[in-house]
Amino acid sequence: MGPDQGDDKGAPPPNWGVAFDLGLRLGISVILGVGGGLLLDSWLHTSPIFTLVGMVLGIGAAMYTIWDVAKESMRR
Amino acid sequence: MVHVEIKAEELFAIGPLIVTNSMVGALLASIILLLAARWFTRRSGIVPSRGQSIIELPIEFLAGVVRGTGGKRWRQFAPLILAIFLYVLVANWLSLLPGVGTIGLAENIDRTHVVIVPFVRAAAADLNFTLGLALISFVSFIAFGLRANGWRGYLKELLIAEPPYMTPLLTPIHLISELSRVISLSMRLFGNVFAGEVLLATMLSLTTATVFILPLAFVIPGVFIGLELLFGLVQALVFALLSMTYITLAIAEHRQHGSEEHPSGESPEQATAPAHGAA
Repeated sequence: MGPDQGDDKGAPPPNWGVAFDLGLRLGISVILGVGGGLLLDSWLHTSPIFTLVGMVLGIGAAMYTIWDVAKESMRR
Repeated sequence: MVHVEIKAEELFAIGPLIVTNSMVGALLASIILLLAARWFTRRSGIVPSRGQSIIELPIEFLAGVVRGTGGKRWRQFAPLILAIFLYVLVANWLSLLPGVGTIGLAENIDRTHVVIVPFVRAAAADLNFTLGLALISFVSFIAFGLRANGWRGYLKELLIAEPPYMTPLLTPIHLISELSRVISLSMRLFGNVFAGEVLLATMLSLTTATVFILPLAFVIPGVFIGLELLFGLVQALVFALLSMTYITLAIAEHRQHGSEEHPSGESPEQATAPAHGAA
């Protein structure tokens, strides 16, 4: 590796890694929320309260992920 | 009959440690990388030969990407990103060598079916391997976040929302979002490599019967092996670049944090300068 001679030498590529990541993370966030809610409900016998709460949190986490990625893209 | 199990098959056990064929694949990839590193460090020169230039080309490319997008601290995590890239790449391409996934022990699953349990299988076709790598990446970006932010700053950023009265709602959301990174990293690599294994096994099974009639048995799997070469490279690159993005984000959060509070006593212009320089 050569010396750090400025950032323009290694041109940053289009950030397609983030695009690969975003779609999967949206689904996983909802699955994690709903899954966690289902587990809590089966443990505490409170169905469907925690499932609904988990779903809301999962969807919220998916929206937060979009916001987080968009914020980072704007910062760049 | 060549078949692909979703879980890695057990070869033998050393005490409580069960050795699977995916573990053999991962071990072989490590040995190849270690031997290559030893060989190249002994033979490399300041003025590179043609062979050295060819070997250095992908490393230079990825180092350029890390340098371009990783900000001023890129040197701290460039070795980790390069190691992840090379490890996943070698593990993926190793599975395309003749004999890997096809030579093994014949096992009767019932009286009519005999399946081959291969001695070596693609390491990333086992979720344990990809989850382990994702956890290394996860721990690394937490460590870089802690190093940049400090314990108090990191936990404050993770657990306390802005404005603070939103904390009960936003903290679980933040935690789910953080956890989704590990699962996303591991499942993507596992899914792609496992799907590739199934595809190759299916194509081999479909075309083997035509080997004496048409050259399809050679051409069609050859095309898919070519595609798998490309997918192996892309998946290694995606895994490495995403790990780098997460680390950069963990450090960048500190920069934003630092620009608001100036804990080091810098002026606002000094504190925000690295953030602009990283763009």
